Amino acid sequence: MRASFYPKTRSTPPVKGALPVLLPYRSPQATQLSLHEKLFNGWTVLALMLGFAWIMVQQVWAQSGAAQQASVPDILLKWTPVLLKGFGFNVLISILSMAIGTVLGVGLGILQVSPVTATRRTAWLITQFFRNSPWLVLLFYCILLIPFEISVFGLDIPFPGWVKAVIGLSLPVMAYMSEYMRGAILSIPSGQWESADSLGFTRGQTMREVILPQTVKRLAPSWMNLYAVLTMATPLVSIVGVSDVMTLTRSALAAESRVDLLIPMYLYILSWFFIYCYPISRLTVRLERKFAVKL
Amino acid sequence: MKILAQLTFGAAALVLSAGIASADKLEDITAAGKIVVGVKQDYRPWGYLDSDGNIVGLEIDLAKDVADKLGVAVELVPVVSSNRMEFLQQGRIDLIIATMGDNEKRRKVVGMIEPNYYAGGANVIAPKGSGLTAWADLDGKDVCAIQGAYYNKQVARDYSANIVAFAGVPEATAALANGSCVGFVYDNTWIESQLASDAQWAEYEMPFVTEQLQPWAIAVPLDELDMAYGDKMRDIVTDWHKSGFLIERNAANGIADNPFLQEQQDRLK
Repeated sequence: MRASFYPKTRSTPPVKGALPVLLPYRSPQATQLSLHEKLFNGWTVLALMLGFAWIMVQQVWAQSGAAQQASVPDILLKWTPVLLKGFGFNVLISILSMAIGTVLGVGLGILQVSPVTATRRTAWLITQFFRNSPWLVLLFYCILLIPFEISVFGLDIPFPGWVKAVIGLSLPVMAYMSEYMRGAILSIPSGQWESADSLGFTRGQTMREVILPQTVKRLAPSWMNLYAVLTMATPLVSIVGVSDVMTLTRSALAAESRVDLLIPMYLYILSWFFIYCYPISRLTVRLERKFAVKL
Repeated sequence: MKILAQLTFGAAALVLSAGIASADKLEDITAAGKIVVGVKQDYRPWGYLDSDGNIVGLEIDLAKDVADKLGVAVELVPVVSSNRMEFLQQGRIDLIIATMGDNEKRRKVVGMIEPNYYAGGANVIAPKGSGLTAWADLDGKDVCAIQGAYYNKQVARDYSANIVAFAGVPEATAALANGSCVGFVYDNTWIESQLASDAQWAEYEMPFVTEQLQPWAIAVPLDELDMAYGDKMRDIVTDWHKSGFLIERNAANGIADNPFLQEQQDRLK
């Protein structure tokens, strides 16, 4: 009987309790586009591709008189397998540096909030040192100071240039990660510590079982951002003699010895980095929005 | 964590590893079954990449011949001017065949093998009709160059040219084509082979007399120079000149005739 009082249109919600009034408040600021979101969107990709296409077309026109030369797209296509291998190497270096840097950085970040003053100060000093040193300088030190082969108890451990490059790049990653970690731990409300304390958790237990799991989602966006930055920094290793995509591009340019190839070739490589990093940047934005903490 | 451990060891072993030197390099190479040669991969046609990713060129032919004569396999390591001598000192490579000029300063660092296997000097590639006829015409003009080339300093000092140095040949030639500089000062051997073989340089010329001729040498570690390894390399280079192998390979790689090679062959015969 009572059900007939309600109009038919107001059907019961599909999920129990999912009333509009119970939905979380979304601040208008959270829906506003951030700067990098404004800069890196589908239009940027389009503009980049158009620019690339324009240069291609221009080359073809410029060469209509000298038809005996191979066209620029043909040359790019010819070198693509070699350059892709080099690019794969860049990706590998970035993943390894990120993995090492993250593990070390998380540890260092936890030490930065240690109750022991000496530990805290030391961790702070290491973090600040590596965070404020130019990446290229750190790379140079790693390449020049670590020998190419180390003999430990008669066992020769080879240290090729790329391993040194991985170590060199993981140092700044470690420092940034350490700072992110410190920030994430401090952003957990102190009530959490107090509650855990009152439940008889030790400091270590509180850290492992209460605090650290909560930092993961706070860290995720900055961590991915850092990865994108790191990936774009990997061409630095070409300066220290590692055969990455930049070195190979240079060699390809030297082998072709074509004056008109320089700009299209570098733009081609740029577009690879863009295509690799752009989805990461998009995903970061989505995560940031999802985990946005309203204070 | 393994890498962290290695890093720790790395610092500790820095001092240790310096002291560990092999007794006889030649024996080590034979035992290892391979010789590691540092070559250029950005200096066509002496050493460059083909589109399959292999390094090829005149100096690679030489490296392969060295390996054949030692009866071992060859491993090529791409080097650049700024790291080739460090690689040799560290033991990362056994031999340098990388367009390296032979001079007193470098002789203190690495073991230069005599006789020299090649020679090159400095010249300028400039657009035809640029009005450049002698080195002195460069006075006060912008001249493209490659960072670290030994002749840059002298060109700047003796002819008051304004050197605009680039990291690589592609960048420098692009700047030349854009008109950012009146000419590009570089190895005469490279300029000659480019002018002879490539249609894009049809409107360019090499207007000066080649200067600052410098012999090129292959190099072994300094303490191996007077050992069996150094002797073996001297024999090999001498044989290259005597047998005409260098002249033949030079032509096969499409490089213009080099008078130095003929001179050496006549001298050593």
